[in-house]
Amino acid sequence: MSKLKDLVQWQTISGEAVRVGDIALTPQSQALTIRLPKGGFVWNRPVAVLVERDGQMERVPVVDVTRIAQLTLLGLGFVFFAVTLMLSVRKRRDGNE
Amino acid sequence: MSEDLDKVVAAAEKSQKWAAEVVEKLFDVAQPSSVYAEPVTAGDQTIITASEVSVGMGFGIGMGGGEGRGVPKGDTGEEEAEFEGEGSGLGGGGGGGGASLARPVAVISVRPEGVQVEPVVDPTKIAIALFTTLGTMFFMLSRMRKG
Repeated sequence: MSKLKDLVQWQTISGEAVRVGDIALTPQSQALTIRLPKGGFVWNRPVAVLVERDGQMERVPVVDVTRIAQLTLLGLGFVFFAVTLMLSVRKRRDGNE
Repeated sequence: MSEDLDKVVAAAEKSQKWAAEVVEKLFDVAQPSSVYAEPVTAGDQTIITASEVSVGMGFGIGMGGGEGRGVPKGDTGEEEAEFEGEGSGLGGGGGGGGASLARPVAVISVRPEGVQVEPVVDPTKIAIALFTTLGTMFFMLSRMRKG
């Protein structure tokens, strides 16, 4: 299990805070790291920005609209595929009976 | 032969070490600094772009060698024929490849009024996904009608 953890890591990392005027921004990203004996893969995406102002901390999420739209359409297509496949199987079964 | 083998092994080890160091640098991409750009200030507004980054890399190194007999001394047809001379050789090689992709996800703008995260929409990618989904639906419907 620990060997798998060394090979595949999924972690949320906070970067160094950036100060703009009286606002401090701490970027957060989520990274998937796959270590292979002779290679590797890294996927890193922004998740949120921690905004600190006047002693108050606020988490502003970074939303990936393109990815959400892509996944929604993919899901829709998959559901439609599954439903039509189920209906055609049922239709064929009813025809045989 | 032994000296040549040592040379080939040493070269292969050196290449492998160098390739492993390059791959190790790949994991620096997992830091937030590779996703968030340096802030750019214009007037009272500061902008930071946030992108999705993916990087992949791989390498391979191989080596081999062999010994062989020379030309047969006349065609006697016997299995235990005599051979003239002998030869041996060693060799090695390696290769690698990689790819990296980056896509802007959002723009973070810092103004005196506050911080705003504005998404970056890629209409081409959404259109491709839409047409793929519509294509699948059309294909499944026509297949269902045919029975």
